[in-house]
Amino acid sequence: MTIALNSSGTRRLKNSLAKWLITLGGISVLFTLVLIFMYLLYVIKPIFNSAKVEPNVSFVIDKRAENSSDTLSAGLDELQELAYQINKEGIVDFYQLKATSEHAVGYKVLSKNLLAENNQLDMIIESGVYLKLLIDNQNNIQLITPQFKATYTDDTRTIIPSIGYPLGNENLIIDQQNKTIKKLAFAMTEEQAMFIAFTDDNRLIKTTFIAEDDFNYDPAYETNYQEIDFVHNIVDDILITPDLTLAFIRSGNIISIFELDDEDNVSLKAEISSVTELTTMALLSGGSSILLGDNAGTVSQWFEVAGKNGRQFKQIRTFTTKNNEAVSRIVTEQFRKSFYTMTLSGVVDVFYTTSEAHLWQGKISDGQPNAMVISPRADGLLLINENKLELFSVENEHPEVTLSALWQEVWYEGYPEPDFIWQSTSGSDDFEGKFSLVPISFGTIKAALYAMLFAVPIALSAAIYTAYFMTPGLRKKVKPTIELMEALPTVILGFLAGLWLAPLIEDFLPAVFLLVIFLPCSTLITAFAWHNLPKHIKNHVPETLAPMILIPVLLLAGYAAFSLSPVAELHLFGGDMRQYITNELGISFDQRNALVVGIAMGFAVIPTIFTMTEDAIFSVPRHLTSGSLALGATQWQTLIKVVLLTASPGIFSAVMMGLGRAVGETMIVLMATGNTPILDWSIFQGMRTLAANIAVEMPESEVGSSHYRILFLAAFVLFVFTFVFNTLAEFVRQRLREKYSSL
Amino acid sequence: MISVKPKALADSPNKMDLENLSPEQIALDIKGLNLFYGDKQALQNITMSIPKGQVTAFIGPSGCGKSTLLRCINRMNDLVDICKITGEINLHGENIYDRHIDVAELRRKVGMVFQRPNPFPKSIYENVVYGLRIMGEKNRRALDEAVETALKSAALWNEVKDRLHESALGLSGGQQQRLVIARAIAIKPEVLLLDEPTSALDPISTLVIEELINDLKKQFTVVIVTHNMQQAARVSDQTAFMYMGDLIEYSDTNTLFTMPNKKKTEDYITGRYG
Repeated sequence: MTIALNSSGTRRLKNSLAKWLITLGGISVLFTLVLIFMYLLYVIKPIFNSAKVEPNVSFVIDKRAENSSDTLSAGLDELQELAYQINKEGIVDFYQLKATSEHAVGYKVLSKNLLAENNQLDMIIESGVYLKLLIDNQNNIQLITPQFKATYTDDTRTIIPSIGYPLGNENLIIDQQNKTIKKLAFAMTEEQAMFIAFTDDNRLIKTTFIAEDDFNYDPAYETNYQEIDFVHNIVDDILITPDLTLAFIRSGNIISIFELDDEDNVSLKAEISSVTELTTMALLSGGSSILLGDNAGTVSQWFEVAGKNGRQFKQIRTFTTKNNEAVSRIVTEQFRKSFYTMTLSGVVDVFYTTSEAHLWQGKISDGQPNAMVISPRADGLLLINENKLELFSVENEHPEVTLSALWQEVWYEGYPEPDFIWQSTSGSDDFEGKFSLVPISFGTIKAALYAMLFAVPIALSAAIYTAYFMTPGLRKKVKPTIELMEALPTVILGFLAGLWLAPLIEDFLPAVFLLVIFLPCSTLITAFAWHNLPKHIKNHVPETLAPMILIPVLLLAGYAAFSLSPVAELHLFGGDMRQYITNELGISFDQRNALVVGIAMGFAVIPTIFTMTEDAIFSVPRHLTSGSLALGATQWQTLIKVVLLTASPGIFSAVMMGLGRAVGETMIVLMATGNTPILDWSIFQGMRTLAANIAVEMPESEVGSSHYRILFLAAFVLFVFTFVFNTLAEFVRQRLREKYSSL
Repeated sequence: MISVKPKALADSPNKMDLENLSPEQIALDIKGLNLFYGDKQALQNITMSIPKGQVTAFIGPSGCGKSTLLRCINRMNDLVDICKITGEINLHGENIYDRHIDVAELRRKVGMVFQRPNPFPKSIYENVVYGLRIMGEKNRRALDEAVETALKSAALWNEVKDRLHESALGLSGGQQQRLVIARAIAIKPEVLLLDEPTSALDPISTLVIEELINDLKKQFTVVIVTHNMQQAARVSDQTAFMYMGDLIEYSDTNTLFTMPNKKKTEDYITGRYG
C-alpha cells in the first residue's frame, strides 16, 4: 500500500479558497483605511496650497486719440467675461475677455462718452468695486456704476454692459464753494452717500447726501455740508469706512482719524504717526483695519483694540515685500482680508492679513501700470499698462488657512489680544471665519479626560472586584450585564445627559458632591459592619447574594445626598450653589458642562474599560497568585504586587481603548456639552469637541469652502487621535502577549 | 494499623521509628484529617507524623489525594470555596486550622513550590526578595544578602549573579524552578512543600533539582509530592503511599520500596497500576 502524500482535490481547493478569502478580507480592510486617509488628505490638501497668479488673457486696447488716453480706472464683471477701462477723455470701453462664436478676445462691446464735449477727466475716485466718482476739468462731478446684465438667447449667455447713475444724472455738488477738489474719498450705503474732500483752498469738508427714501430705488436726496477742523495742510490719502463711521486722512506720515457718526460735528478721534516714510494707505475688507505701506516695502496693519483707555488704534502686524522697494499701491479684496501690494518696479506681493501668509510674489509689470484691479470674486487680476490690457488668473482659494492660523494664537480684528478662536459662521456678511483647531481639540481632550476621571476608577474597581473577588456564579451574571451596557445607543445617553441629567445636576449641585463622599463612605462602613458580623448570621446569607446588601445601602446614601442637598445649599452656599459659584467664587457655570459630560460619557466608556480590564485580571495565571499566597502574601498584597502588575499592560490598553472611544464619541458630547468652543479646564464650563463640531457644522458648510475643508481637517485630526490611542493600546497588548506568553 | 517492626530497620543508619517520634523530631503532626470537596471526600482520616530535617515523599496514582494533602499543610485549599476540612495538622504543637491562626503567617513558615515554575513577571532579584518585601523588609543590604544566600542555596547563584535585575521570565524552565525554590527559602520557612517540582522539567534540570533537594534537607523539612517513584526513591527519607484518599503505607523509603507491607503498595511500586 502506498501512502497518498498529495491531499485530495477538494481539500486543496477549500484550503486555497479560504486562504484567498482571508487575504482578500484583510487587504480590503487595509485598503479601505488607506482610502479614507487618502480621501481626507485629498480634500484637505488645497487649504495649504499657496496662491498662483498666472497670465490669462492680454491684448492691445484701442487708443482713440493720439494725444494719449491714459486709463484712469478699470474693472471687470464677476465672471471675468468683460473688462472696461475709463480713460482721460471720459470714454468708457468694454472689451470681451472670452472668445465667443461671433467675437474674438479684445472685441470692443460698448464704448460710451461719459463727459460733455471737450471736457477731460481730472480724476476718478473709486469706492468698492463698482462705484466710480468722475471729476472733470470743469469741476463737474458725477457718480457712475458700470453694470452687467446677463441675458440668455438660444441657451447662450450674453453679458450686456451699461452705465448706471446711482445718484442721478445731474452733476453733484460736493463743495458749496465749488472749489477744485484735490483729494476726495466717498462711501455709500442705502441711506447715505458721504464725501470727504480736500479742496485747493485747504479746506477739509464733509458732504452727506441723505436719501429721501432708499438709493436702491430713488436717487433723490438732501445734502448736508460740513467743514472739518483740520490742522495739517497736506492731504495725501483719504479713506472712509463702508459703514460711514470713520475717516482716515493721511498727511505724510500722520494719519488723522475722524469720527463721522455725529451728523453735526466731525471730531478727531485719534492721530497715529508712522516712524517710517508712508507711501500709500488702504482699507481692508470689512473696514476695520487700515493698511499702511511705506517706502521700505513694509505694510503694517492697524485696527482698534480695546485697552485700558478705551478703544485705540494699534499696529497689529507687518508684512514685508522682500525686495525693500517702496510700496506704490495696496489693492484689497472686496470680501476677504487679502491684499495685493505693488512696489515701484512692478513686483506684486499677495498677502492675507489674519493668517499672516505671504501667498505669492512676482513681477508682472514693468513700472507702474495705469490701473490694477482685483476681480469681484478675487479670482483675477487686471492690469492696464499704457495700451496693453493683461488679465491674470488668480488661484487663491484658502488664504486664511495656514498651520499657524490653525494651531497658534491669531489676533483677529476687534479682539483685544491674540487668541485661539473657533467661530466658523456668523450672521453678518463681512464676517471673517476664525478657524483655530486648538479650542475644539482641547474640548475633545477635556471631555475625554473628564469622562476618564469618572469612568476609570469605577471601571477598574468593578473589574478588579469581579475578576478577583467575586464568586464565579455572580461573575457569570454581572460581566455580561455590564457588557450589555455598551450596546446602549449613545444618543440616548446624550439626550438623557442633556435634558435630564444637566438640569438635575444644576438643581442638586451639592448632592453631586455629597454623593462623591457618601457613596464610598457608606460602602466602606457596610463592608466593615459585614466583616464584624457574627459568623452564624453571615452563614445564612448565600455568598452570591452578599454583595447585594450594598444595593439598598447605596440607594439610601443617594437618597440622603439628594435630601441633604437643599439643606447644604441653604447653609453652606447661601441658598443657591450655582449663584454661589458664579458670584462668590467667580467661576462661570454652564448648565451643560464638563461634569455632565464626564458622567454621561464616563457611563459610555465604563463597559469598554471594564470588559478589557476584567479579562486582563482574570487571565492572570492562577499559579502566579498561588505562588504569591504561598509566600505569605495576603490576598490584597497579591492583588497589588502580582495581579495588577501582571495585568497592567492589559489594564493600560483597556484605559487607552476607553480613551479612544471617549475621544471619538459624538452624540453624547453633541447633546450634553453645550458646544461652546472655549479653552477652559473648569468642570462647570462646556466645551466643543472635534466630533461634535463636525456633526454640527458639516451640514451647513459650503462644499469646497475653507470651512468645509477645515472640517475635513478636523476629521483627520480626530482620526489621528483615535488612531494613535488605539494603535498604542494594540501595541501594548501585543507586547503583553509576547511578555507573558511564557507564563 | 498493625505495627510490625520493619526488618530493614537495622539496614539503614538514619532510619526512624515513624510511629514513635519524640516531639522534637516531629515537624508536622497530622491527626485524623478529612477533606471534602462538596460531597466528595478527598482525604480520609489521614494520620501521620512528618519528621524534621528529612525529605518525606507522597506517592500514589493520579487523583489519590497526595497533592491535596500537601496543600492542606499550608492551607492552600482555603482558596477553594467548596472545600471543607476536619481534623488537625499541628505545627509546633499548634493546630494550623485553629481560628486564631494567621494564614499568611503560616504560609511564611510553610513554603511551597508548585508543579509549574511560576516566577513573577519581575526581575530575578525582585522575585527572590518578594516574600521579604511582603514582610516589610526594606534594608537594602539585608535584601542583597538574602538574595545571595537564597540563590546559593538553590544552586542558582553562579548562573544568574550577573543578571539579577533582568526579567525572571528569561530563565530556562529548570532555572525558573530553582528560582522559585530560592524565592521560597529566602523567607526561611521551616517546612518546604514541593508539589511535583520536576514534572514540567527536562531530565537534566530534574537531576539538578533532585541534588538541590538533598542539600535543602539540611536546613528545612522537605515534603515532596511526586508521581515518579524513582524520584521518590532517590530523594526521600520517608515515603507515604496514598490511594483513593487513604494513606495506605508510610515508612522509610528503603523499606517501602524493598519490603512493602501492603499488597496495594507492592502492586503500585511494581507497576501493576498507577
